[in-house]
Amino acid sequence: MASVKISKPLPALPADWNSESSFIVHAPLSPAVHRNLSPAGPHFLAHARRKRHSRTFSEDDR
Amino acid sequence: MSGNPSPSPPPDPEIDDDTKTVIGIAFGNTTSSIAYTTPDGKAEVIANEEGDRQIPTVLSWVGSEEYHGTQAKSHLVRNSKNTVAYFRDFLGKKYSEIDPTNSHNSAHPVDIDGVPSFNLQQGDDETVSTVSINEITTRHLIRLKDSASDFLGRRVTGAVITVPTDFSDTQKEALVAAAKAGELEVLQIIHEPVAAVLAYAARQTPEEQGVDKNILVADLGGTRCDAAVVASRGGMYTILATAHDYGLGGLKLDEVLVDHFSKEFIKKHKVDPRSERSLAKLRLEAEGTKRTLSLGTSATISIESLADGYDFHSTVNRLRYELSAKKVFDQIVSLVENVVKKAELDLLDIGEVILSGGTSHTPKIASRIAALFPESVTVNAPATLATALNPSELSARGAAIQASLIVEFDQEDIEQSTHPAVTVAPHLSHPIGVVIGEDNSFHTILEAQTAVPARRIAQFDVQADGDVIVRICEGIREIVVEKVERQVNGEKDEDDSEDEEDEEDEEEEEERNRVLKVHKVIAEAAIRGAKKGGKVEVTINVSSDLGLNVAARVVGTQIGVRGEVSPEAGSA
Ligand SMILES: Nc1ncnc2c1ncn2[C@@H]1O[C@H](COP(=O)(O)OP(=O)(O)OP(=O)(O)O)[C@@H](O)[C@H]1O
Ligand SMILES: [Mg+2]
Repeated sequence: MASVKISKPLPALPADWNSESSFIVHAPLSPAVHRNLSPAGPHFLAHARRKRHSRTFSEDDR
Repeated sequence: MSGNPSPSPPPDPEIDDDTKTVIGIAFGNTTSSIAYTTPDGKAEVIANEEGDRQIPTVLSWVGSEEYHGTQAKSHLVRNSKNTVAYFRDFLGKKYSEIDPTNSHNSAHPVDIDGVPSFNLQQGDDETVSTVSINEITTRHLIRLKDSASDFLGRRVTGAVITVPTDFSDTQKEALVAAAKAGELEVLQIIHEPVAAVLAYAARQTPEEQGVDKNILVADLGGTRCDAAVVASRGGMYTILATAHDYGLGGLKLDEVLVDHFSKEFIKKHKVDPRSERSLAKLRLEAEGTKRTLSLGTSATISIESLADGYDFHSTVNRLRYELSAKKVFDQIVSLVENVVKKAELDLLDIGEVILSGGTSHTPKIASRIAALFPESVTVNAPATLATALNPSELSARGAAIQASLIVEFDQEDIEQSTHPAVTVAPHLSHPIGVVIGEDNSFHTILEAQTAVPARRIAQFDVQADGDVIVRICEGIREIVVEKVERQVNGEKDEDDSEDEEDEEDEEEEEERNRVLKVHKVIAEAAIRGAKKGGKVEVTINVSSDLGLNVAARVVGTQIGVRGEVSPEAGSA
């Protein structure tokens, strides 16, 4: 998958960052809404293939 | 009259059983069209043997001769009782559920054990037979299939057919059965707005298709108008909301012109031309005048012996027409506004507009809809975009594209892929992004309404040596309304001191802007020792249980962070 180039920079690490770890978790993602994907188009068919064969994106990339 | 008998499909050649020839069919109440994809993958709409790409959904019988399309439509004047029109929406419904309003000027449906049916004379004697809506549909589909087979030189075996988003399962089953009775396999039924999106997407590169946006599709037909908001995410489509207006459409615009011309005729000849047959003539011709007004600024109408032996010749200009049609245009604009509301979105959340259906040729409708959106929003219609596709062809093209994608699938593959186990997916309720820039603004990486699992990768420039932070957040969209004062053109205020009194010379305008803000911080990752000129790549992976995986790394180095955010207990 191609990456999207973003023109603005990431902010500098705050001086008061005092965690030992370089990754801090704050909160889980908000609950999702169940909806229906339209079963049409090439990208959906790729999704259906992944789902039916329980494959991940990276497996699918290969 | 020699009629327009079904084209003779090529004498069944010795094709091996594996050869499948599939097409796309748009089946409308007013018109239908057929399309195929060329070997290089381009969708093309097929003209039938009469040269029509928009084939009126009309069948008519004179004796045992069956007429279809434009010829059958012309029979609405002299042979209306034996002519069946505007029947698509009756299919798969009980008689008690249908609205026969549009059948008043043709064969009227009758109730046969609850099934909408028609009493028709289809033989060379006077015998009247009762023909069910299912049989009518079968005949229509056979005629479309034969026209396509004739054109392609191969027997068409299957089709993808488009239907409105409110077509019920019972209606879909009836459609499949009616096709089957005509030896046409329905590979898949797809929704009209999705077909329209596919028709446009087919012109794009896979990267362009993957750009996330909300697309508004307004399908403006003859007897009805439908609208949908389609979230396009990574090239997958989710319908967020739909709205329908039955009784709004091209027929209403024909009526506007019929009224206009009738009044003129009465003024001249003191005769009302609205008797049954004259009215049928007037309707047919007014529709032609209306179409001409989509291209030119004036159009003529010319009918010999319209009523009481008087001929009728007249001209109408577009402005006059647009004024008379304003109410209909207003209703179409309301439908569009309404569907956006139903999707719980703002007009500013719409990134692209597709106008589909024959009535979308109307310039004023396209410009009225375009006026709802900022200029940056593409409105795909002939009047607003020179490169727009023909709105009358979008459904058939989309169907043909889908047909070519699944032609090699067997029935079981298609059934599995369209099963809710595959199609129903959790969709993000908030966008996910990062904080960027000096003003710590929110930048979306994964849009709200993206189906999960989903993955996106973003790349940022490093502007100075040092440590940076990747702050992963959920965002929230706000509409910020600002009052901006605009000075009325050419009226420069002389003395600014008398502020109070000057107010009338300044127009206060509201400027509405779409702004994304941080809703909540999900996780933070520290990247140490990035070098100026380098690039940080952030990969966001959301699993189907809403677990979040983040990987941030400095491209081309060993520097990187990985982290995981577990889903909220009990979510998705
Ligand atoms: N160039 C044009 N300018 C204006 N109106 C047009 C033009 N071409 C076709 N129409 C109108 O479009 C309408 C038909 O639209 P469409 O082909 O999308 O039909 P449909 O989907 O079968 O309609 P429905 O199911 O709503 O009855 C007719 O009212 C026709 O007069
Ligand atoms: Mg339609």
